[in-house]
Amino acid sequence: MASHMLKDAALFLPEIALTVTILAAIVADLIFRRVRAVVPGIVLAGLIATGFLVLGQQGSSVAIFSSMIAVDAFAVYFKLVILLAAVVVVVFSFGSAELQTGGRKLGEYYALLAAAVLGMMLMAGANNLLMMYLALELSSISSYLLSGYTREAADSSEASLKYVIYGALSSGLMLYGISILYGLTGSLDLATINHIVPVVISAGGPPLYGLLIAGILTLAGFGYKISAVPFHFWAPDVYEGAPITITAFLAVASKAGGFAMLIRFLKVTFFDATGVMAAAGTWEAVRGLRWVDLVAILSVLSMTVGNLTAIWQNNLKRLLAYSSIAHAGYMLMGVAVLNDEGIAAVMLYFVIYLFMNLGAFYAVMLIADKTGSEDIDDYKGLGSRAPFLAVALAIFLISLSGLPPTAGFIGKLYLFAALINKGWIWLAIVGALNSVIALYYYVRVIRNMFLRTDEQQSAPLSLSGMQMTMVLALLVPTLLFGLYFGPLVQLAQASVRIFGAP
Amino acid sequence: MTAESLAFFFLAAFAVSTAILMVLQRNPVMSAICMIGTFFSLAGLYLLLHAQLLAVLQVVIYTGAIMVLVLFVIMLLNLGDEARLRERYDLAMGVGTVLAAGFVVELFFILFYSGDPALRASMDPRAAALGTVEGMGGALFGRFVLPFEMTSVLLLVAVVGAVVLAKRKG
Repeated sequence: MASHMLKDAALFLPEIALTVTILAAIVADLIFRRVRAVVPGIVLAGLIATGFLVLGQQGSSVAIFSSMIAVDAFAVYFKLVILLAAVVVVVFSFGSAELQTGGRKLGEYYALLAAAVLGMMLMAGANNLLMMYLALELSSISSYLLSGYTREAADSSEASLKYVIYGALSSGLMLYGISILYGLTGSLDLATINHIVPVVISAGGPPLYGLLIAGILTLAGFGYKISAVPFHFWAPDVYEGAPITITAFLAVASKAGGFAMLIRFLKVTFFDATGVMAAAGTWEAVRGLRWVDLVAILSVLSMTVGNLTAIWQNNLKRLLAYSSIAHAGYMLMGVAVLNDEGIAAVMLYFVIYLFMNLGAFYAVMLIADKTGSEDIDDYKGLGSRAPFLAVALAIFLISLSGLPPTAGFIGKLYLFAALINKGWIWLAIVGALNSVIALYYYVRVIRNMFLRTDEQQSAPLSLSGMQMTMVLALLVPTLLFGLYFGPLVQLAQASVRIFGAP
Repeated sequence: MTAESLAFFFLAAFAVSTAILMVLQRNPVMSAICMIGTFFSLAGLYLLLHAQLLAVLQVVIYTGAIMVLVLFVIMLLNLGDEARLRERYDLAMGVGTVLAAGFVVELFFILFYSGDPALRASMDPRAAALGTVEGMGGALFGRFVLPFEMTSVLLLVAVVGAVVLAKRKG
């Protein structure tokens, strides 16, 4: 038993390293009270070390600690996405003027950020409903605290409170769903549930309805984490009120964790092991449950509601919040396809989304730090005041809308290709129409920056070398992956293997 | 009627009556005392189910720690008697009543009409081993060691968060 556990612990090293980082950050905050750079330095080093340990796990496909957590190519890929986003956000936070106002100490901020990352990494690997719930709570509780961190700002407190209330409601719904699932199948382990689900379905009657209700309730928890409509109500307020570094973090890392958990849940729990298609990389959902249609409906709702609401927004942070809801919808299209091609497209999209979305948020943060405004009308004439930043923001927005030659185009291309190959033509058409709507509101920002002139003739904005490097570090991949994307696609396609699924 | 079922009915009646009294009391301190009664009888019920550890924890944590906390809050807030609220009968209350009634019917249905009657009468012999300190320890540090450890991280985050929220500016 003990030697078994030690072997499992060796495969759990990245998470252990991250836990040590959290503890070190809390203690260091007490000792080095005067030096500002110590705690962010520790967290940054810890995240990078964790990243290297995760890289060392490539190629393994096992479930550890009594099948609580799976270590497989799929989990490794998502963990790397989450860690990369976290590293970028830590660097953002160190330079953020917004976080410095009010003279609050930021030690706990970085510790909580690391705890949120730990929760999201566990979400990527969780192979048991109990573990999934715990991971979700760990990342949610840290996120509640982080989004209310600048407590002096009224909207930050409001955001945090709204987040807590919606979070408590949806995790309650999810827990209720999990309890029904446990009652029906007698297990929390995804693979075991998968064996019993066909029995429940063939029995029909009340147990089948129970299974449906349980599935929908559990989906509410996932839907909340990835901010899919109709579980999205918290997102705009939280994204607007939270410090912008946390908004960027929630939009990318939190969503990655949620998607990883959703895909694993759907794929391991509800695939049909007897299906003829299982061998060919396509997996059939167990018969009698219309999961696919449910995911497709969520996808259409998220895209349409997200994009149509974004048109009316004047606050750029809020606009990006609705755009991120719409992006959850695009990525759900890839989940609805139910084959390896679709999942690989979602995974590819996540890496691209990471660079373009973090880039857009960083540009908005830099502009807000200088001008004190996130209003689109205050972006007038920015093209002449800060040419570099304005061009960068324009490229990030074009990439978000999915036009070539940016990386966003490649991401959308693979998503739509997966849809069309599977014959989901109507969903692809809805997705394409939505991209056109999205283009309208992104271009509105770009038009304000370059074609409108600022009446007040404000002074030009200057960037420090550090800020310039950071923008470039996000800008170069956004453009590069639009032209040279072969290795990234191969990596995503090689990482779709999920432990316990065909 | 065996001694065991006699004990069960006594404890169950005590638990339900103290719970009802707790809601009906207007003085918060009296409510708290009634709640202690409920907690104690629940601990007795756990014992009847062969869950010794759970029974002891129930007394130590709920009757001990949680109750002291509740009493402290009552004293710090200096609560007086509850003012009587005017009852209003509206749609929400009607819907609530119907739902509650449905739930009661459902409970009775499950208790008396469904499931295997033989299963209800007997008890799995393995259940007795589960409730001991050894059984619980084996589960917590064996199969469930990872969730157990991660819960401690979760609690740590909650403590740090509480400090962050409570700390004054600067």
